[in-house]
Amino acid sequence: MSKRLSVTLLTAPAMILLLGVFILPMLMMLMLSFQDENQAFSLHNYSLFVQDPYYLEILWRTIRVSLWTVLASLLLGFPVAMYMAQATGKMRGIVTMLILAPHLISVVIRNFGWVVVLGEKGWINETLISLGLIDQPLRLLYNELGIVIGLTDSFIAYMVLAIATSLYAIDPSLNKAASILGASRMRTFFSVTLPLCLPGIIAGTTLVFSLSMSAFVTPALMGGTSVKVLPVIAYEQIMATLNWPLGAALAFLLLGSTILLVTLYTKLIETKRYKEVFAS
Amino acid sequence: MTKVIDVELRGIMKKFQSNVVVQNFNLQVEQGEFISFLGPSGCGKTTTLNMIAGFLDPDGGDLLIKGQRMNGVPPYKRELGMVFQTYSLFPHMTVAENIAYGLKLRKVNKQEMQERVNRVLSLVKLPNVADRYPKQLSGGQRQRIAIARALVIEPSLLLLDEPLSNLDAKLREELRDELKRLHHEIGVTTIFVTHDQEEALALSDRIVVMNHGFVEQIGTPLEIYNQPASEFVHTFIGKTNRLEGEVIGMDGDVLTLRTTGGMLVKAAKQQRTVALHEKVIIFIRPEKIKLTDTAVSDEANRVKGHLQLASFLGSYTECEVKAGEHTISVKVQMTDKSVEREEGQTVYCQWNADDVLVMPAGRG
Amino acid sequence: MKKINVLGLITFFVLVLVNLPFLVIIPSSFTAAGYLAFPPEGFSWQWYEMILDRPEFIDSLWFSLKLATVTAILATFLGTLAAFALSKYKFRGSGIINALMLSPLTVPSLIIGISALLFFTRIGIAGTFTGLLLAHMLISIPYVVRLVLTGLSSFDYTLEKAGYMLGAHPLRVFWDITLPLLRPAIVSGMIFSFLTSFDNVTVSLFLVAPDTTTLPLAIFTYMQETLDPLVASISSVVILLSLVFIVLLEKVYGLERLFGLNSQSH
Repeated sequence: MSKRLSVTLLTAPAMILLLGVFILPMLMMLMLSFQDENQAFSLHNYSLFVQDPYYLEILWRTIRVSLWTVLASLLLGFPVAMYMAQATGKMRGIVTMLILAPHLISVVIRNFGWVVVLGEKGWINETLISLGLIDQPLRLLYNELGIVIGLTDSFIAYMVLAIATSLYAIDPSLNKAASILGASRMRTFFSVTLPLCLPGIIAGTTLVFSLSMSAFVTPALMGGTSVKVLPVIAYEQIMATLNWPLGAALAFLLLGSTILLVTLYTKLIETKRYKEVFAS
Repeated sequence: MTKVIDVELRGIMKKFQSNVVVQNFNLQVEQGEFISFLGPSGCGKTTTLNMIAGFLDPDGGDLLIKGQRMNGVPPYKRELGMVFQTYSLFPHMTVAENIAYGLKLRKVNKQEMQERVNRVLSLVKLPNVADRYPKQLSGGQRQRIAIARALVIEPSLLLLDEPLSNLDAKLREELRDELKRLHHEIGVTTIFVTHDQEEALALSDRIVVMNHGFVEQIGTPLEIYNQPASEFVHTFIGKTNRLEGEVIGMDGDVLTLRTTGGMLVKAAKQQRTVALHEKVIIFIRPEKIKLTDTAVSDEANRVKGHLQLASFLGSYTECEVKAGEHTISVKVQMTDKSVEREEGQTVYCQWNADDVLVMPAGRG
Repeated sequence: MKKINVLGLITFFVLVLVNLPFLVIIPSSFTAAGYLAFPPEGFSWQWYEMILDRPEFIDSLWFSLKLATVTAILATFLGTLAAFALSKYKFRGSGIINALMLSPLTVPSLIIGISALLFFTRIGIAGTFTGLLLAHMLISIPYVVRLVLTGLSSFDYTLEKAGYMLGAHPLRVFWDITLPLLRPAIVSGMIFSFLTSFDNVTVSLFLVAPDTTTLPLAIFTYMQETLDPLVASISSVVILLSLVFIVLLEKVYGLERLFGLNSQSH
């Protein structure tokens, strides 16, 4: 059997699926997003976005929530990654398992758990009230805080793993070398460890940001009906209002702004020196 | 007694894209012969072996095994044995299963299979590892099992692709001797690919020295060592002193030469003819040079210098002598009488005209 | 020493946090009360018995299991074949095909869901099992391709050569040598595909119909209307089911390895 034939036969089934169910439909969706009610070509759906402050406010909220999620995952995730890098084999395995396993259970269920914990009559509020610390239940859910908590829980594993991977790659003798040269532990951390795990931090933050921007389930369940983000609005346009062109346009605007922001961020942070050091 | 030819390569040529990697390779391997393909990496030796094995097809020429043309025949129909550099034992099979795999494919019955596996295991002196997995064996043991796996099907030809390269120095020597013993015992026709000249010299009936896709020389180890066909062969095999010079006198077969550094060298009869006043390259092996404290021979083939460096290496000492603008390597064998020499000492290097090899410069 | 303790403390806190939902859901499901509360009041199986009275959960559970199983088998088959071609043969365009195979991971599920809805509506398979199956295969294949490619990247192709030299036909070599050695990668690709399909909401959201609803989506819809211990009991069932597969995955492949691949590109 010739090489060309083998390659074609082996890749064809998956390629047909990818082209037929993914690439082609996406092109259709893109074309649809440029249609008005009369199916004529129009930029209306996109210009609406710029003109209507409602949509801009939604976009800004989506970005804001995603940034908070990135920050929370980084602050909580970095120490975990550090701990994993310093831990011995068995402990590291346990931590890895406990941080990753929840990730393989449906987000709907995890969010439900959070509703039980954070709700008005949830565990936290009931406890605080019974302790007499508060009179009125705190509003922990159905606002941006709720979304950020839910998203952080969903995506922190990616942050931990990205940073841990780059920490594992650091030669442990570098720490010794820094100590011999007279650097304190703090100094070693800031002048050796932190710069060398920068690729992990960049990977983790961009990943968590992109995932948060396009998250739908958590904002829908933990943001409630009043605090909406862009994916939720797009969903409503498609499934409730049945304005498919606008829904499609909103989804692409979401993707476009995510890519734009991630690109800006990496351009900003990946200086010439960074590229020289981490060139593959 | 007529010679039986097991393998014949007739004008074999191979190219990758427009790059010719093996050029006009002609060779006849006799039954029972141990042949080495020797050369640096990229010389075409492995490519040639892969063509014999059937992993590559020649772009020109004919390949015959046991008199049958093999071009285009896939490897699994060639009935050959092969041992790879990386052992390549199947990690999910025990040693016994690995060895029996070839027999299973040939539908050998259970009892005979068992017997042959045991026989070949004792042949490689590992009778007690049948139930272990490759991972549980040392590198040397793994390679013995790989050899056993190749031999158990009684191949018409055994191909060895740098089988010793992944082993450390001591094991490598041990397994080298083992290969020699095995070859004496079963006499299977063997083609051995290596970049290590010592291995090739120690094991082979004949050596094929290759460079840049060309066969530089085919000969017995002694011929290769003492009568190299080219500068490449001479320098690739063993260490040597290389001097440039000019022919300034011819007296019958004896040449008188002067090096660029002004040293006088006399050389006995040469294989390659050179003309008077021709630019030449002069080679003298380090082990052919003697170090003495006083001048013994006449003015030619003798040079006075300082002992610059002396590295004691056990059975011999490697010395570097600075004589004028030449730096000469000398290998001093340890004998009872050997004197301990100190660096910086004045010494004489002396050699015989028989041990000087002269080749015309710029003609390869 | 002190520093490690601080890190350990934060780590412990984070681990509790990410596992808190389960620590809360499972006890709540056994409450004897008629409303959702944590800590639960009393103990009873009533909310589990209640599941049996809700055909929408039972039906969607079976539907989800069926969908995830078929998705896992087909996605693994297609993905494995493609990974073989990509790893074994060097050919022009292999970079593009590789990128294409992984591309569904880089596009938000939202867009995959919407575009599938548009396309499936046009060809008349929106809201059908086939439609969901195709979409779930699409989002599972990248994982299979990546896992099998990683498995193949450490695969020593001279083992295949050794097989040929011993007289085995290429198909025999594939069956006897290549496939057994790739089993961990392929099996974990299959389990991961199963979980991907079984957990998915965002893509399914656009493709389900009343009689073809997946379990996570049924819970999602129910949750938006009512919050009662029934959600806790059905969720506990799902947690238990998922846990079986997670343990299996850990045994076959190791979660760390699995996610190590996961987080590297996006």
